Amino acid sequence: MTRRLKKGAQILALACVAGLLALLVWQLRHQPHAPGVGAVAPGFTLHRLDGPGKVSLASYRGRPVVLNFWASWCQPCKSEAAVLERDWTSYRNRGVVFLGVDFHDLNSDARRFVSAHELTFPMLEDGSGNVTQGSYGVSQVPETYVLNRQGRVVAHLAGPITDPAFALKFRSALAKAAA
Amino acid sequence: MLRVAAVVAAALVFAAPAAACAHPRTSLTYLEGQVMCPTCHTTLDQSDSQAAHQIEVFISKRVAACWTAPQIESALVANYGQGILAAPSHKGFDLLAWWLPIVGVLAGALVLALGVWRWSRRAGSEESDEPVGSGLDEETERRLDDVLARFE
Repeated sequence: MTRRLKKGAQILALACVAGLLALLVWQLRHQPHAPGVGAVAPGFTLHRLDGPGKVSLASYRGRPVVLNFWASWCQPCKSEAAVLERDWTSYRNRGVVFLGVDFHDLNSDARRFVSAHELTFPMLEDGSGNVTQGSYGVSQVPETYVLNRQGRVVAHLAGPITDPAFALKFRSALAKAAA
Repeated sequence: MLRVAAVVAAALVFAAPAAACAHPRTSLTYLEGQVMCPTCHTTLDQSDSQAAHQIEVFISKRVAACWTAPQIESALVANYGQGILAAPSHKGFDLLAWWLPIVGVLAGALVLALGVWRWSRRAGSEESDEPVGSGLDEETERRLDDVLARFE
């Protein structure tokens, strides 16, 4: 009886250790990471910030997409907003779609931000950060992805596009995606 | 006349929040320990980020409007999701987070008690297995008795 109990306890302990190891492996495999250039951008469906309904990234397949992650509390996002709006108005006729994803933000403040900066491209809300952080590995905003017509990443800019280091890269990626 | 109007207007502006809620039902200090900063993964009272500051302003306005702590927490959960709360909820799958530590402590205590019980039992049986006599063979014992008898 004692031996049986001892064996049972050993099996239980081994099962616990195996379970913890499996959990560790699962965690490591599910670490959020940014999709690299050439990779297909992770799909998502998010609620619109600027109106009712949801928007899916898949619905824009066949058109180049500029995906901009921002928040109203982010200082560089303010300086970037005007540049994004200007580029949107000049590229929308060429079929380029601009999507703003508001990250870890209060919806009321985000709407005020959109209104104050007179942004007219579609805005989506990601208060929980599931898409921004979970699928795109974004931890600090602003970040911008340029996707081609096949939904593949052409450029990833981890910082404001007003930054001299990114401005040229953004322009050339945009032109490449729109071509 | 104009000066009096300005003073009255200012008094009304400053009196408005007080009139809205004479007895706040919760406080920013309390909620700062209950709500997480979404970007830095610490509670608001531990954070100095812009995102945390934005939430603090949101909370302050609701506290001044006489909202209760659960009302403010619900509004934040609706915006940010359940992860905005420092403690998991008391329902559904989240209950596991509350019960698992208790179950773990109880299981540990049970294992410890079982171990102590078995150890004490083993120690008891070892004691009873010991020889009752002096441990000397019969011949030596007889000779020892003879020697001792001479001294009596």
